[in-house]
Order: sequence, then structure tokens, then C-alpha cells
Amino acid sequence: MSPPIVTSRGVTKVFTLGSVQTQALRGVDLEVREGEFLALVGPSGSGKTTLLNLIGALDVPTAGALTVLDRRVAELTRGERAELRLRSIGFVFQAYNLVPVLTARENVEFVLELQGMGTGRRRRATEVLEELGLGELADRHPRELSGGQQQRVAVARAVAARPRLVLADEPTANLDGENAEVLMHLMRDLRTAHGMTFMFSTHDPRVVEHAVRVVTLVDGRVARDEEKPPEPPHEILPGIGKRLPSAGARP
Amino acid sequence: MRPGVGSRYAWRSVRRNIRRTVLSVAGIGFGCALALFVDGVNRGKDEFYVRVAAETGTGHLRVVPAGWRLRRDADLRLTDGPAALAAARALPGVTVAVPRARAQALLAMGTHVVPLELVGADPALEPRADRLMRRMERGHYLVPGERGAAVVGRAVAERLGADLGDEILATAMGFDGEIQSALFRIEGVVATGSEDIDASICQVALEDLEALTGRRGPGEITVILGDWRQAGVARDRLSARLGGGSEVLTWHELAPEFEGHLRQDTASARLVTGLIIAIVLLGVTSAQLAAVLERRREFAVLSALGMSTRRMVGLLLQEALLLGLAGATVGLAVGGPLVWHYARAGLDFSRWLGSSYSFQGIILEPILYLDFGLWLLPEALVISLGSTMLASLYPARFVARTDPAVSLRVAQ
Repeated sequence: MSPPIVTSRGVTKVFTLGSVQTQALRGVDLEVREGEFLALVGPSGSGKTTLLNLIGALDVPTAGALTVLDRRVAELTRGERAELRLRSIGFVFQAYNLVPVLTARENVEFVLELQGMGTGRRRRATEVLEELGLGELADRHPRELSGGQQQRVAVARAVAARPRLVLADEPTANLDGENAEVLMHLMRDLRTAHGMTFMFSTHDPRVVEHAVRVVTLVDGRVARDEEKPPEPPHEILPGIGKRLPSAGARP
Repeated sequence: MRPGVGSRYAWRSVRRNIRRTVLSVAGIGFGCALALFVDGVNRGKDEFYVRVAAETGTGHLRVVPAGWRLRRDADLRLTDGPAALAAARALPGVTVAVPRARAQALLAMGTHVVPLELVGADPALEPRADRLMRRMERGHYLVPGERGAAVVGRAVAERLGADLGDEILATAMGFDGEIQSALFRIEGVVATGSEDIDASICQVALEDLEALTGRRGPGEITVILGDWRQAGVARDRLSARLGGGSEVLTWHELAPEFEGHLRQDTASARLVTGLIIAIVLLGVTSAQLAAVLERRREFAVLSALGMSTRRMVGLLLQEALLLGLAGATVGLAVGGPLVWHYARAGLDFSRWLGSSYSFQGIILEPILYLDFGLWLLPEALVISLGSTMLASLYPARFVARTDPAVSLRVAQ
């Protein structure tokens, strides 16, 4: 069994707004191992986004111990957390959140530039987009792309720097069924090809079908944690794994 | 070389809301142009005041006998006037150097008496050094070689009841302490536009003053420079060439009250410039903050992608730099021609001030010529870039303090 890359022990998160306190997480215990394809499900307000934000080092827990990629999140400075995200964690958001003034290629290239990658980052960005079937659309701006295409660019941006962990918050919420299906196949194939760990929150039962492990949160606690039997071999989408170097390799 | 994605991002962000950008650039450019104009006036005024002050007797430099500065005694004379005059004329950047001597005197004609400071001058050169001597109302200025001639101010002539061709009696203290007198014929009447100044003018040939007072040689060498800003350097050079019996003073030291006024004026101009920049700053800060608030989610996403606070602030400052450069361009495009025009045509204040006016005993013309020069370029850049950079600090601080998790939660 691969080692855990996320370990959560009794993690709680309390938000304070004026005199009102809201307990979003109430002692979450969870371990995520390298290469997992994990769905985080639960009703609205159950704490899925909060847990993803904590694991993504966007926020720090109020109490409990959270270790991500061998780093204790609560002990990291703001700058160290940004560095952890930059080097090791990819994000996919519900609303795509591409930079509107950059083309698809530039959106991907920008992350590589932030990483300090010099020459070759444009080529790398193009390769990643081609791998995800977006080579023809590389020079288009987000407004010129459909929702499904934008979300695939967002996935390309998240995986271009070959992070060990990719977090996706409701990645299919704004997509129709067909596009949601394509996106889930893409993410699953990226995981299969490169060994990246994917964690995504969702309400969509069709999306959950793709997950290998399903963690259900209710009222800020892990209510259920189910592992599915290993998925049968399937044909990987054309292009996936051909160009993108495997996770762990550095640019 | 292709610019990095970050630079392209900054450039396109500036163009994102074109109306706001145009308004911001127009605000910066207008403020910059205004500040350039105010500074053009200020620099032109400094040059103008100093030039007219220098050319109405003060000079940019003056060689005086040692000890004159303390006592301001008109009877003191230079121990080696010809050598000092030669040294002054040999100095680089000197337009003209003239010898003068002064004596307290009483002018009289009939029963009328006027006390004043009688000036002995070089008839050939004095009008080049003293522009008041070029303002002849009647008659002519002193002629080289002509003895016993005098030029008086219009008020002196009126108070004496004298006119061209009349003889006036000048009485002064002689070298030996005896009262000495001499007759002078009025050959010219000067009208400066200021009655106070007209009431103090009486010039005769230097030799005539020497004969009247019995004191030999000039009491001062007044020097006019091509560039008044070089006064300090020229003073040091000239001092090094002179003996210990004399000292060189700059116009600052000769007319400290005048320099004080100039400093006060400069401070006022800087205050006005500061206020203009402050107004521009507020406008740009407001526009920049609005832009940052609109992109709050975008910055949260950038943060989630691992962009450090430092780089996000850098991105904003890069955008400010572009705005500042555009503002400086507009400022120069508007302010440059404006300053150039008034540097040639001059700002005419005669409607309010009349044809001339005096300040601290100096006749000023009511037309002020702005200074136009290379200083416009660096100043436009400093004003525009400085104000946009400063204006971006608060929005940048806002970005630096933005919590990505909160911003993303709010945005979802």
C-alpha cells in the first residue's frame, strides 16, 4: 500500500463572523494515499470545500493535525503554503476561474512560469493542452471556449506542473452530462497515466461512479468511507500519457 | 524577445477595462501636465527674478573689499581694482564684469536737495550690466571720455526741478574727511517705472566720482554670468584668483532677503505641485482599488495556484508602471507644448501689474517666461510613475492581505 500523502487527525475548522461562530469541520479523520481517485460527497454545508481548502493549504485548521505531503499545514507560513501549492498541488474550481485576459496556452504557461521554468514552458503548455485534446484551441481566450473546454483548460493548468495532488471542487457542477463525463474520464486517465492523486468534491452521482474511493461528509464529520473494487482495465483517451511526464519528475 | 506571461498579463489587465484605464491615464496625464506647467513657471520665475535682480545692479557675483560684507560701507575701495577686474573678465562663463564705486551724496539745484547713493560707473560697459541704464526716458547714457556728465532718475530730476542740460551740485565726504563738491550736467533721465527706484538713481563716470571723493579705484566689480546657477562655482574660481584684500559674494549673499523670497515662492509652488499630485493620487488609488476589488476572485485563484504575495504585488506594480508610463506620455504630450508655448510667448501679467513693478528694489517686468528644457522628461516620469506607484500601494496591500480561501468562498 502506498504511503499517505494526506493525513487528517481530528481536524476542525471554525469560522467566526462577528459574534457568530460556525463549525464547518468537527474532527475529520482521513488518510489519502498516493494515486487515489477520491470523491468527497455530502450535502451542501457538510464541509467538503472547507476540507479541500485545508488540504490545499489555502487555509489552516482551527484544531487537529493535518499533514499534506509531509508538511504540517498549521505550521507553515503563508509563503510556505503558497510554495507548497505551487510545487505540489493543483486546483480545479467549479467556475473554471481561468485568467480571462490570457489565452488557454498562456493560462497553462503562467503556472509553469511561476514555478520558475525557463525555456520550454510554452512547448510544455502546448503539449499538455494537446494531451487533453485542446491543441487547436490553445490560442483562444476563455470567453471563446465552451464551459467544458474551459474546465479542460483548468485541468491542464492544474496538472501542467505535475503536482502530486490535484484538488477539484465541484469540477462538473457547471457542465452538462456529456462534458462532465469527458472531464471525469480525463482526470481518471491522467491519474492512471501519471500516478497523480485526485480528490474532488461533488454532488453528482454520475461523477461519483468514477471514484475509486468515496468519502461522505455530514455536518463536518466523515460519515462514511467506502473503497470500490479496482476498476476494470479500460481504454485510455487518445493522447493521455504520451507527452505529460509522470508525477514526481521535476521540470 | 517575447515577454513573459506575467508581463503580458499585466499589459492586458491594464487594457481590460479600457474606459477606466483611459480615465486614469487622462487623470495622471492632466495632473502631470499641470505639475510640469507649475514647475515651468517656478523655474522660469527663479531664472527671471535672478536675471533681473542681477541686471539691476546686484550682479550674480560681486568682488568687494574685505570687510565690506559686514559694514556695507560705500567708502571702501578695492586695493587692486584693475587686477580684480581682469581676473573677473578672464573667468569662464562671464558675460560682463564692470567696475563701480559708490558714495553717499547730496544732489542740489537751487533750493532743492536730494540725498542718494552716487554711483561711479564705466560708461562703456555699465548699460550691459544694469538694464535700468538702458531705460532712458530723455537724453542719453554717459559717454566714454565725457567728464562732468550725470544720468539721473526721473524722480530725482523732478525733485530737483531739473532737466536735461541743467547743472546739479553733488556734495560728498572726501577722502580726508572734508566735504567736497562738484558740478554735473544732466545728460540723461532714466525712467524705470518705479518712483522709489527713480528717486535713487544718479550715475557719473567712475573717474568723476574718484575726483569728487578723492578715493581711487572701484569699490566693487559686478559680474554677470551666462548661467546664474553657476554662481557658486564661479565664486570659488574667482576667489582662488584674488588676493586677500577682497572677497567674492554671490547674489544670494548680496540680496539674502530676495533669495528668501525666492525660496518661499519655490516652496509655495512645490506645495501646489504636491496638491496636484495628491489629487491625482487619490483618483488613481480609487481606480486601482476598484480594479483590484473586481479581480478579487482572480487574485484568490492566483494565490491558490501558488502565486506568492510578493509576485501578486509585483503584478499590480507592473500594471501601475504601465499606467504611469502612459500618464507620463500624456503629461508630456500636453504639458510639453504648453510649457514650450509660454516659454516663448511668456505669461503676461501686465493686466494686473501694469507695465512693470518693483520688489525689494528690483524692477520686474510683468511678463514671465516659463523654463522649457530637458528637465520635463525626467520630471514627467517621476511625477507619473511616482504617483501611480504610490497609488498602487494601498490596493497592493489589500491584495497582499486577501485570504484566498475567504475570497474563493465569497466568489463561489
